[in-house]
Amino acid sequence: MSKKGQDSLRTAILRSGRSIDRRTLLRNSAAFGIAAPLLDGYLAVMSPGAMAQGGYDPKKYAGTEINLLMTGDENDHRAIGDLLGELEAETGIKVNISSPALAPLVEKTLQTLKSEKSPFEIIQYIGFLTTQQVGGGYFEQLNKYIEDPAETPPDWDFDDFLEPAMKNVGYYDLEKGELGVGKDVYGIPGVHSGSVIYFYRKDLFEAAGLQPAKTWDEFHEAAKILTTDDVAGCSMIGANDFSLGVVDWYTRFITTGGVLCSGSPKDGTFKPQVNTPEGINALQMLIDVLPFAPKNVTTYGFAENVDGWSAGKIAQMIFWVAVAGPVYNPDTSLVADVTGTGPVPAAPGNDPRAIQGGWGLGIPKNADESKKAAAWRALTWITNKRVNEYSVEKYQIDANRASTFQSPDLVEKFPYLPDALTAAQTAETIPTSLIDEFFQLNDIMNVEFNAALIGQQDAATACARVQSQWEDIFRKAGHLKA
Amino acid sequence: MPQTTQTTKAAGLSLRARSPLEILASNAMLFLPSILCLVAFAIYPLFYSARLSLTRLESAAGTPVWVGFQNYRDLMSDPQFWNAAMNSLLFVSATVSLQVLIGVGLALFFNLNLRFSWLVRSILILPMLITPLVVGVMWRALLNPEWGLINWLIEGVGLTAPNWLGSVRMGIVTLIMVEVWQWTPFVFVVVFARLQALPTDFYEAAEIDGASRYKIFRYLTLPLLMPAIAFAAVFRAVDSFRSFDLVYGLTYGGPARATTTLSFFAFQHGFQFQNYGYAAATSYVMLLILVVGTTLMFRYVNLRPEHLR
Repeated sequence: MSKKGQDSLRTAILRSGRSIDRRTLLRNSAAFGIAAPLLDGYLAVMSPGAMAQGGYDPKKYAGTEINLLMTGDENDHRAIGDLLGELEAETGIKVNISSPALAPLVEKTLQTLKSEKSPFEIIQYIGFLTTQQVGGGYFEQLNKYIEDPAETPPDWDFDDFLEPAMKNVGYYDLEKGELGVGKDVYGIPGVHSGSVIYFYRKDLFEAAGLQPAKTWDEFHEAAKILTTDDVAGCSMIGANDFSLGVVDWYTRFITTGGVLCSGSPKDGTFKPQVNTPEGINALQMLIDVLPFAPKNVTTYGFAENVDGWSAGKIAQMIFWVAVAGPVYNPDTSLVADVTGTGPVPAAPGNDPRAIQGGWGLGIPKNADESKKAAAWRALTWITNKRVNEYSVEKYQIDANRASTFQSPDLVEKFPYLPDALTAAQTAETIPTSLIDEFFQLNDIMNVEFNAALIGQQDAATACARVQSQWEDIFRKAGHLKA
Repeated sequence: MPQTTQTTKAAGLSLRARSPLEILASNAMLFLPSILCLVAFAIYPLFYSARLSLTRLESAAGTPVWVGFQNYRDLMSDPQFWNAAMNSLLFVSATVSLQVLIGVGLALFFNLNLRFSWLVRSILILPMLITPLVVGVMWRALLNPEWGLINWLIEGVGLTAPNWLGSVRMGIVTLIMVEVWQWTPFVFVVVFARLQALPTDFYEAAEIDGASRYKIFRYLTLPLLMPAIAFAAVFRAVDSFRSFDLVYGLTYGGPARATTTLSFFAFQHGFQFQNYGYAAATSYVMLLILVVGTTLMFRYVNLRPEHLR
C-alpha cells in the first residue's frame, strides 16, 4: 500500500466522524482494495500510542481530577473502582467515585443538576429517568466529542453499543421532547444495560421429557408437571417489589399483545391500557401459577429468587439477566451446571421480548467547563470494551456492548450471554418511563398486583384500580387531558 | 478606695452597675451562637418545608409552582394517605400499649432483685441499642419462610408457622411485634429506675396499716410510677409515630400497603416519586397530629408525682 493510499484511508476513517471497529475497518478497506496483511500493519498505526500523532493523545488531560456520581446498588462502582489505577496510568486522569443507593442517587442527581455548578463531571442515571433528567436539558450533547477523533479513543467503537440501550439512555430529541428519537446523543450506556431472559433447569426438563417453554401455556404446563415437594415448578417476583410489574407482569403483557399506553404525553392523549383483556390476562397468568410457585412467593423479591434458584428449589422463571452471574457461579449455586437459558416465552404470533433496563452516563451541562473534555475522556475509558468485559467476567454485570456478549472466552465461561444478547437486542423501553412519574406508577402497579397475588382482590379489580390511579396521575400531570 | 475596686481597676475591669441595655446586649451576645444554630438548622428548614408544602415541585424539570393548600386538599381525598394514617394509628396504639404493659411487668419483676437479675437486665436492654434499620433486616431474615430460624423452630415442634410478612393481617402484626421487641426495654429502664427510687416510708406505713400486696400496688406503687410510665408512653408514642427505618428494613410498606405508615408514605413521595410538595404537606400533617397529640397527652397526664406537687 502506498503512502498516499494509507493517508487516504486514514483521512477517510477520521472524517467518518467516529471511531471505527475492526470489522468496519475491514469492510471499508475492502472498498479501497486493501489486503488484510496491509491492514494489520495499519491497525498498528492506529493504536492509541500512535494515534497521538493523528490528534488523539491519551495523556492530553493528565492531572485532571474528575468526580463521578453513580449507583452503589449494582456492582458497577466496584468494577470501575477496581480499574481506576489503570485509568489513571493510561490517561493521567484521577477519578473519584461517589456511589449512593438508588433513592439518594436520584435525589442527589436532581439537586446537582439544578444547582449553579455541578460538583460531578460525570453522572450515571437510571434509564427509567432518562426523560426526567436528560429530557430536562441538564446534560451535555456528546456528538461533538464522539465525532472528534482527537477526543475519542480510536478503539472505543461507538457502534458496538446496542441500539435499544442507546434509545433508552442515549438518544433524545430535546426539541420534540422525545426519548429514543433522532441521533443527538446525551448519554452513553453504562456501565451495564440488560433485559429479561428465561431460566430453566436442564436436568429437570430432560428428566420430564420437556422442552424449555416457548409459550406461556407451555410455561404453565411445565410448572404443573415439575412441581414436587422439593422443587417449585416456577417462580416469580411476587412481593410488592420494583420488578413485579416491570418484569413478571409486563413481559407477559407485551408478549400476549398488550400495549401499555396509547397516545402521547406531548399532546395530552397519553392513556394507560392496563385495564384491558391483555392486562387482566397477564396478571391472571401469574395468579394461575401460584400453586406451582414457592409457597411464600408473594414475599419473593430479587434476593429470594436468586437464593431459591441457587439452592435448586425452582424449575423455571423469567428474570433480569443480572441474576445469571450468581446462578451460574458454582461457588454460590448448586445448579450452576444444569441451568439453561432462553428467550422469554411468548403467546403464538408474538415475539419474545421484555423491558429494557440499564443505566446511562452523561456529562452535566453545569459541570466545570474546563473539565468537560477530560470528563469525556474518562467516560470513554469507563465505557470501553476492556471495562465492559472485565465487569462481566469479574462481577457478571450485564454487558452493554455487542462485542462483550460475543466474546468467545466469555461465552464459554457464561453460556447465557448469547440469550442475553438476543434479549438486549429486542428489549423495549417501557412507555411509562417517557414521563416523570415512572416510579410512582410502578409502585401503584406493584401494590395492586401484589394484593391480587395474596388474594385481596381479583385480577380484573387490580387492573381496574391501577388504571384508575394511573389515569388520575396522568391527568394531574397534564399527560391526559380528556 | 476599697481594696476590691483598686484590684479590679488594676486588672482593667470596672464593677460599675451596668444599664439594662448593656445587660440585654451581653445576654444577646451569649445567646447568639445558639440562636444562629437554631435558625439555620431548625427554624429555616421548618419555614422552607412549610413553603414547599404549598407548592408543586415534582421533577427536575420544574421550578416550584405555588398551589396554595392544594397539596393538603389532595391529601384529605387521597385514600392512600388515609390508609397510612390508619396504619400509623394502629401501629402507635398497639406498640405503646404493649410496650407499657410488658415494660412495667418486667420492671416489677426485676425489682424483686432475684439472683443474676443484673445479668438478665443487661441483656434485656440490648435490642434498643441496635439501629432500627438493622433490626428490620435482621428480623426479615429470622422470619424468612424458607430458611428463617423462627419458622424452623415453630415447624420443628410440629406447628404451622404464620405467613409473617406475606399476608396483610400478619404484616402489621409482625411490624408491631418487632417494634415491641426493640423498644420495650426503654419503658422497662425508665420504669425500673423510678421503682428503685420510690420512697420506702410509704410502703412501711402501708404495711403497718395492713394493706394487701394488691392494694399496695394499686393504690401506692402504680400512682407513684405514673409519671415515669406517662413519660415513657409519650416518648414512645412520638417515636413510634415517626418510625420509618423499621418499616423500610422489615416490610417496605407491604404486603399491598398494609404496613405503609405516614412516615413511609412521606418518604415514598419525597424520595421515590420526587413529589416534594406533597411529601412536605404530609410531614406537616404529621407535625400537626404530633403537636395536638402530645399536647393532649400532657394535658391529661401529670408527670409530677402527687407527693411532689
